[in-house]
Amino acid sequence: MCAISYYLERDNIMTTGISLVRENAASMAPPRSLWVPFPLGRPLGVANDPDFQHRVIAAALKLFNSTDGPVLEDFPEDAPVQQTESPLACPVTFIKSATTATSWQERLGRELSTLKPWHDLGKRRRNGRTLTGVSNSSIDEIIQRLAAYLDTVTLPTDELVWFKHATEDAKNYYLEAITAQPDDQDPDNLHTIFWTQTLLADALVMLSEQLSSVQGLKQFARILVPRRAMDMRASFSSAD
Amino acid sequence: MVRLADLPDYEREHLLAKNMPPLGPATWVASEKPLAELRIALVTTAGLHFRDDPTFEFTDATFRPISNNENANDLIMSHSSVNFDRTGFAEDVNLVYPIDRFKELEARGTIGGLANVHYSFMGAGLMPAEYQHSASQLAGMLKKDRVDAVFLTPV
Repeated sequence: MCAISYYLERDNIMTTGISLVRENAASMAPPRSLWVPFPLGRPLGVANDPDFQHRVIAAALKLFNSTDGPVLEDFPEDAPVQQTESPLACPVTFIKSATTATSWQERLGRELSTLKPWHDLGKRRRNGRTLTGVSNSSIDEIIQRLAAYLDTVTLPTDELVWFKHATEDAKNYYLEAITAQPDDQDPDNLHTIFWTQTLLADALVMLSEQLSSVQGLKQFARILVPRRAMDMRASFSSAD
Repeated sequence: MVRLADLPDYEREHLLAKNMPPLGPATWVASEKPLAELRIALVTTAGLHFRDDPTFEFTDATFRPISNNENANDLIMSHSSVNFDRTGFAEDVNLVYPIDRFKELEARGTIGGLANVHYSFMGAGLMPAEYQHSASQLAGMLKKDRVDAVFLTPV
């Protein structure tokens, strides 16, 4: 973001924008930057809250009034914190240990079948919107192919691009199913559910660990599983 | 969030490693028009594009066009990083790419207008200077679109 801003301004296009990491903006010093105290992935702060989003935008546009720069200002509001005291109501019960199925194909297939009605519901609520489709494969094909790698103890070394996109599609599908019903959901709770309770997360962690041991693929393995997922899984295991 | 003090050590160190010195002497274009006369383009580094467009590579300095007239709800994301939340974007495209908010500002007369085309980069894995060529290319396209100013969003 800082680099694009710098180069556009050098080419005589005026810029303003949002920064999610204040220290990065302070060091690179783009011409105009508004730091916002929101989670990564949420630069406008709150989904489906036009008034809040307009306040963020107005604060960034106000930087055009500055007479010289670089200028870095702080947005004064935090995003509202979820008020509910109860844990997230997940519509799906993930039961990894209760199944008698032995193959990944069967186990992941069962898990997917429990999610499908919820994904359909969520997609209807979002008026058809879904983030899936980056890999150009259906969710059934994605799950079948991921399971096949684990069942046959092979790795997707000859289709890394498809594999990366497929893992993102699968994660998006799961999270869209878990959030089928509207709620002011804390993203940390959602990701904790995904990374500690689902078989898909087990599969992704296993494949990531295996890929990480292949020469030249350590970096690739890092773009499959978030750094914080391993913390979540460790905390969940120790709490068991 | 994202206050670095609130993050685990490894997360804080990862983000601090992205601190870079300025790319050169400070650049600054003074505003010569009131906001109500500015024609604005949105530019995001969130790795957004439509399903028919090429996905972004794992590291990629190119950009994708997003027509002002296309339905932004059809945008998807092929950002290579896994270290941010996408569920908010799934709920509301404006959380990352605030096109509806800017159309409201245009309708109210708060801004002069919107560009015909907005743009998305994918900000991951490259050093800042590696965006120089494509950013200059983009500047030329924005000028053809009579854009006065750009509003940038990260992810």
